[in-house]
Amino acid sequence: MVEVLSQTSDQSAEFETQDLLLNVGPQHPSTHGVFRMVMTVDGEVVRDVIPYIGYLHRGAEKLCETMDFRQGIGFMDRTEYLAAFNAELSYVMAVEALADLEVPERAQWIRMILCELNRLSSHFMFLGAFGVDTGVFGTPFIYAWREREALIDLFEEVSGDRMMYAYFRPGGIAWDVPVNFVDRVREVLISATQGIDDFDSLLSENEIFLARTQGIGSISAERAIALGMSGPSLRASGVDMDIRRDEPYLKYDQVEWDVITGEHGDVFDRYYCRVMEMRESIKIINQCLEHLAPGPILPEKMPRMLRTPPGEVYLRTEAPRGEYGVYMVSRGGNRPYRCKVRSSCLSNLQALHELTVGEYMADAIVILGSIDIVLSEVDR
Amino acid sequence: MTTEPVEEQFTNQIGDHDDIWSIVDNALLGIGVNRETGFMDVIVSIETDEIVQASRALRDDEDANFDYLRSLTAVDNMGDGMEVVYHLYSTTKKHNVTVKVFLSNESLRLPTVTDVWPAANWLEREVAEMFGIKFSGHPDPRNLLMPEEIDDTFPLRKDHPLAEIEVLQGEGMGYSGEEL
Repeated sequence: MVEVLSQTSDQSAEFETQDLLLNVGPQHPSTHGVFRMVMTVDGEVVRDVIPYIGYLHRGAEKLCETMDFRQGIGFMDRTEYLAAFNAELSYVMAVEALADLEVPERAQWIRMILCELNRLSSHFMFLGAFGVDTGVFGTPFIYAWREREALIDLFEEVSGDRMMYAYFRPGGIAWDVPVNFVDRVREVLISATQGIDDFDSLLSENEIFLARTQGIGSISAERAIALGMSGPSLRASGVDMDIRRDEPYLKYDQVEWDVITGEHGDVFDRYYCRVMEMRESIKIINQCLEHLAPGPILPEKMPRMLRTPPGEVYLRTEAPRGEYGVYMVSRGGNRPYRCKVRSSCLSNLQALHELTVGEYMADAIVILGSIDIVLSEVDR
Repeated sequence: MTTEPVEEQFTNQIGDHDDIWSIVDNALLGIGVNRETGFMDVIVSIETDEIVQASRALRDDEDANFDYLRSLTAVDNMGDGMEVVYHLYSTTKKHNVTVKVFLSNESLRLPTVTDVWPAANWLEREVAEMFGIKFSGHPDPRNLLMPEEIDDTFPLRKDHPLAEIEVLQGEGMGYSGEEL
C-alpha cells in the first residue's frame, strides 16, 4: 500500500501542473458589493490576487465641487451608506473648521450619540455578514439583522430616512430629535447589549468558527501601518491608534472608554475587536445621554448661504471601518474647490494581497469579509 | 452655555505649533522647505525632486517618525499648475504634518513614494488617472477606478466637463467661481 502511494506521488511529480486563474465577482454575494478579484490558485493555495475596483465609482468628489456646502452632505451619505452619520460628520466638521462655526453643546452630544449608534448598526451588519462568510448561515445572521433593524428604526424616527440620513448640518443638526429620544435610545441599547451577548456566545467560542478564523490572514503591526490600514483592522494587529482618543473631536475627551486592541492581527482578532468595540460604544452612548441637556441645535447667527474664507483642512474622524477623512480646499465662495474623501476601506483593501497570498482559497473569502469593506466607500 | 470656536479647539488638539515645527525642521535639515500653518496641521512645501529624500527623512527621523500616510491627493490650480498633497501621521508620536509638492502644467511628473509608504500605491494610481500626473518608478501604474482603456481624460481636472449637458449647452455650469 505504501509502495502504491509513493508510486502515485512519483507519477504526479512528472505531471505538468499549471496555476489556475480564478475570477471572483464582480457580482457575487461573498464580495460584499461589486468587487472583483482575480486569484491565481495552485491547487487550493492562493499564489496571487489582483483586486479590481471602480465598479461603483460615481465621482462624488467631483460632484461635491459643483454643489454648495449643504448639498454635499448627501453625497457623503452615499459614499459610506452603512455608517452615513460618520461620513456626514467628517464633511460637516470640515466645513465648520473652514467657516469657523461654533457648534452648540446639544448638537455635539446628539451627533456623538448618533455616530456611536451608527457604529453599532454597522458592526452588527459586519457580524451578520461575516458569519455567513465563515459558513454559519442562519441564527447569527438573523440575530444581527434583528438588532440592526431596531437601530435603523431609531435612525428613521430621528432623521426620516433609514440609510441616507442627511441629518447633520454645518453648525449643528437639521432639526431637534424627537421628545422620546432618550428613552428610545436606552430601549435600543438594552436590546443591543443583549444582542451582542447572544452573538458572542453563539460565535466567539464556537469551535468550528475558531478553526476557520484563528491564525488566518495575519498581518504584523509594522506592515499594517505601512499599508495605511486603520480602524479595527489596524487595532487587531496591536496598534493602539484611535482618532477618537488621540485627536478628540466632538466630546470624546469628556467620556470614559477603552481602545480595544488585538494581539495577532488575524481574522479572529479583527472580528473580536469589533465585538468588544461595540460594548465600548454602548458605554460611550450611556455617558452621552447623561450629558444631553436642552439647548439650541444650531448657532444663533447662521447665514442663509454659507460661505467660507479661503483655506484648507484635512479633517479625520474614526468611522466604524477606520479613518474617514475629508480634505477640503476652499477658495472662498459657497462651495468647496476640492473635496477629497479619504476612504478607510480603500486603504484597508490595499492590504488584501498581503493578507491572502499563501492562504487557502476558501479562507480568502473569510479574510475579505474580515476587513469589512463597503464598496461604495472604496470607489466613491 | 460656553462653546469654544471650532478653530481654537483644533489648535488645542494638535498642541503647540512650535513643537512640531522644530521637529519637522530638524528632520528636513538641508532640504528647502516653505512653511505654512493650516487650520489643523502645519504645511511644508517641498521641491519636486526632493520629495523621496524628504519622505525618507520624515519617516526615519527618530523624533518625527511619520510612519503613516493618511492620505495622498492632488489639487488642480488650473493655470498655476497642480499640487500633490501628502497627509502624514506618526502612530508613535501622535503628530501630523501636511507635505505639498507644486508641479507646473508643463511637467506633471514626480517620483513615487511607494518605497517609503506602501500605502501610497493605490492612492498614487488614483491621482495619476484622475489628474494625469505621472509618478515615475511606480510599481503598478494601471488605472485604479476607471476602465483600463481610458488613459487620455482626467475627470478631476477643473477643465473636465461635469456632465454631457455641459458639453451640449456650453461651459459655465461648474467652475466659473460664480455663486449658485
